[in-house]
Amino acid sequence: MLKRSRKENDEPGTSASPDIIGDKTIIGDQIYIEGTIRGDEDLLIEGKIKGNIEMKAHHLTVGSKGRVEAEVHAANVTISGALVGNINATGKVKITKEADFNGEIKAKSISVEDGAYLKAVIELEREPMKKDVFSGKPEDKTPSGPAKDPLILADKGSKEN
Amino acid sequence: MAAFAADRNQKGPYQDSGTADYTSNALKLFMEHIQRQQQVRLLDVGPVCQENIRFFAGKVWKHYVCDMFIRLDRCIRKGSPVHQVWQDLDYEPESFHGILVWELADRLDDRDVNRLITLCHSMLKHGGMALVMVMGDQIASSETKSFVVRQNWQIYLRPQPHLNLPLRSRQNRDVLSMMTPFIPAKSFICRPGFMEFLFRRE
Repeated sequence: MLKRSRKENDEPGTSASPDIIGDKTIIGDQIYIEGTIRGDEDLLIEGKIKGNIEMKAHHLTVGSKGRVEAEVHAANVTISGALVGNINATGKVKITKEADFNGEIKAKSISVEDGAYLKAVIELEREPMKKDVFSGKPEDKTPSGPAKDPLILADKGSKEN
Repeated sequence: MAAFAADRNQKGPYQDSGTADYTSNALKLFMEHIQRQQQVRLLDVGPVCQENIRFFAGKVWKHYVCDMFIRLDRCIRKGSPVHQVWQDLDYEPESFHGILVWELADRLDDRDVNRLITLCHSMLKHGGMALVMVMGDQIASSETKSFVVRQNWQIYLRPQPHLNLPLRSRQNRDVLSMMTPFIPAKSFICRPGFMEFLFRRE
């Protein structure tokens, strides 16, 4: 069933409802769609989707009943169901503890709840850093491959093998 | 530094009290080592942890997360053979500059530990590094915890009540024995029996 909703607290079976604001379309749990979905409003998926989802300025939510196998382009993405595929988000990706995700995530930021079932490659937008803020040392840019410098082996309180 | 808390009913330092459980020298060295490379690929097989994802993803090119603890837990709950979990560590050989193993070995029997170590050895690039923790008898509890990394290499241990895994404590010599394919690079005693190890692939 396809629905339109303006309410924030009436989403069926999703723990992500507080994140949804304004107009959205709901793809119900009895719906299966194969192909490309493009949209200019937020989308909540409780059904099965296979293909591509392109809604670059909006929020995609995969509800707890949702089963999605897709390449996703969205502003923000919330996953509470199952998603296999790659996510390219200009904003935030939120993965709740009910989620089952397998794929790549490129996003500005991410939040993940303990207990999420995850196999992911994560690339976050990195702010340019002149220094490693934790070591106080500049970032090294030596070529890839085995490290040429030995490890420091004389730290206080350590036990060497 | 606060006393290590093994009892979840006590108010432990991992309860966001503002005090770290300990400062990880091994993690600092681990990151310094792998960050000498370009386009660093790091694999974390520990329990999914938002703080760690943000921390590591902000420091490496590609941060790979494959929570083997939850896979092990689900396998045990279903009564399935534990060896099935290894099918998810299906990365190409020499994929990673570093692998965060944490205390996964303490949750596996000897046969599956050998499988884990063999896979880690294969997945690491030459010169790559693995970080292994051993909790030790005095502080180990059956309750699984995630090692939550915060600033200045401080580690907080956060209980993972959704994970119910067996505990098979190993001693220092057991770890060195199981990691024979690797070169021991460094070890740190954090508490009696609680150690951090760095192993490097030749």
